[in-house]
Amino acid sequence: MARMIAVSASLLRGLLQAAFIVMLTFFLCRVMPGDVVDVLGLEGGLTAEQQAEMRHSLGLDKPLPLQFVDWVGQALTGDFGRSIRFDRPVGDMLGTALPVTAQLAALSFCFGVALALLLAIAATARPSRWLDAVIDFVNTWSIAVPTFCTGVAAILIFSIWLGWLPVIGGLLVPVLVIGIDNAGQIVKSLREELREAVMLPHVRTARAKGLSPWRIAFAHVLPAAMPIVLALSGLVLGGLVAGSLTMEVLFALPGLGSLTLNAIHGRDYPIILAAVTLIAVVLVAINTIVDMLHRLIDPRLA
Amino acid sequence: MVIQALAQESGLGRAPSQRQLWPAGLVLTCAIVLLVVAAGLAAPWLTANSPLDQDLLQINKGPSVDFPLGTDHLGRDVFARLLYGARSTLGISLAGTAIAFAIGAGLGLLALTFGRWPAAVLFTLIDLVRALPGTLLALLLIVGLGTGPGPLILALGISFAPLVAYVTRATYQREAARDYVQAAASFCGGRLHILRRHILPNIAGVLVTQAAIILPRCIVTESVLSFLGVGSSPDAPTWGRMIADSSRFVERAPHAILVPLVSLVLLTLSLSAIGTYLRRHLDPVRGETDGPPEDETQLADLARPSLASA
Repeated sequence: MARMIAVSASLLRGLLQAAFIVMLTFFLCRVMPGDVVDVLGLEGGLTAEQQAEMRHSLGLDKPLPLQFVDWVGQALTGDFGRSIRFDRPVGDMLGTALPVTAQLAALSFCFGVALALLLAIAATARPSRWLDAVIDFVNTWSIAVPTFCTGVAAILIFSIWLGWLPVIGGLLVPVLVIGIDNAGQIVKSLREELREAVMLPHVRTARAKGLSPWRIAFAHVLPAAMPIVLALSGLVLGGLVAGSLTMEVLFALPGLGSLTLNAIHGRDYPIILAAVTLIAVVLVAINTIVDMLHRLIDPRLA
Repeated sequence: MVIQALAQESGLGRAPSQRQLWPAGLVLTCAIVLLVVAAGLAAPWLTANSPLDQDLLQINKGPSVDFPLGTDHLGRDVFARLLYGARSTLGISLAGTAIAFAIGAGLGLLALTFGRWPAAVLFTLIDLVRALPGTLLALLLIVGLGTGPGPLILALGISFAPLVAYVTRATYQREAARDYVQAAASFCGGRLHILRRHILPNIAGVLVTQAAIILPRCIVTESVLSFLGVGSSPDAPTWGRMIADSSRFVERAPHAILVPLVSLVLLTLSLSAIGTYLRRHLDPVRGETDGPPEDETQLADLARPSLASA
């Protein structure tokens, strides 16, 4: 019973977070100086009356709260409005951009978490100064080096100086760059958690049975630390978003990040709103699911 | 085997290093940071060129007598831009860190001092915002507030404030549970008096350490925002902006991008090394675990809510 309450509480929290973010995004998009009519007006030389008429037809002259209610009402039925610049339904544009970003993010996430796990497990099974130094290095790297700098350096070294890879296209470099960045964010905490899990009694028993260090690490230490691994991988998501944004721009991938940025520069607020809402809702959903799973798995939490 | 290995690690390994007062690595990193600060302060005296003057006849040139580090794609002097860039890079990220602390630590401590409800309201709000990753939040804030140094600094500050607030809360609660604070409270010490005279001096080390950790992250986030086209303004370019501007001309002018890139990475690496050193020495409790600070607090949030409330 208490467990069900805890799980529904985290669900409620997720819903609140999503609602708050949508509201924040809406109002920030609408208070931005110079709306789309101004931008189009400057470019197309519209007169003041034409601009007023355009605002009226877009519903931009209504009070903000009313516009918000309208937008949410339509968004819930799956209608995110039309792009003002491209005159296409925003839903379609998101639909074409989403798979690119999803693929990039999923591959980077898997690579990053796998790399972090591998390093942490190796350091647990065979403790060595050398491996700890590698872990330190990856961790510091992810804190101190922005992903786009790694990306630019990779382009310069591998495509231009060595001539190995095509400069643009191909997910290999972006996935590697974001993955290493993600791994760096969690590998150190992961190492600490596994170090603590080594002290558990059942691990000591396994060691007394004479199992090999690798077998102990994979079969006994890792399962015990699994809830923590789950919680830690949730922390990667923020870096994943920032990484995808920059990598999509740098490598000209037509994903959500490129779409959002172009929309920001063009003041195309229906796209900004829909894209940020989509990203935020997905993040909140993942975090909430991880949290709920965590509470379901681990009886100590509920 | 693991036991053996652990025993080796703990017993036979090198003894815990004697604490040198100034280890070589620390001296080096401090020297780099001081060099950058000096370059930023003395920029007008170190170069006669302006960072903004374009010379379209001299684009993408390598190093020469007039331009010690060459020119970029608009014929601007890379050396002059590097020096003036040090100024704006440090200025913007220092101001951003200050705002993050004003909101996260200042507001957080006041809310925590004045009882349960203000703290609950503040931290619920922060919890709601936290679902948005920092970079995305900063991006949105700049969209809303407009471009320019002011909004940029504010956006950086707000996006790092939750992190500072969580660390502040964790250390405050640890400190407030101590006996000497209870004793001071039982002597009818006012809340603000206890905060100022008893708690603040004891958590100052943690806060300073946190500032040293946030500063390089601020620089990194600013450079990412610049790369995305919403960062520093063109008339006060930061290093991030220089990298971003030159990133499309990497083939023709690699020096124009390598110079700011290497400088930025050296600076952030040095700052975070100093942060790690400070954490080990000023913040012994958290320094031992040695994990990234925000992970700890978020994990603590995730893993121990029921224990805390029970």
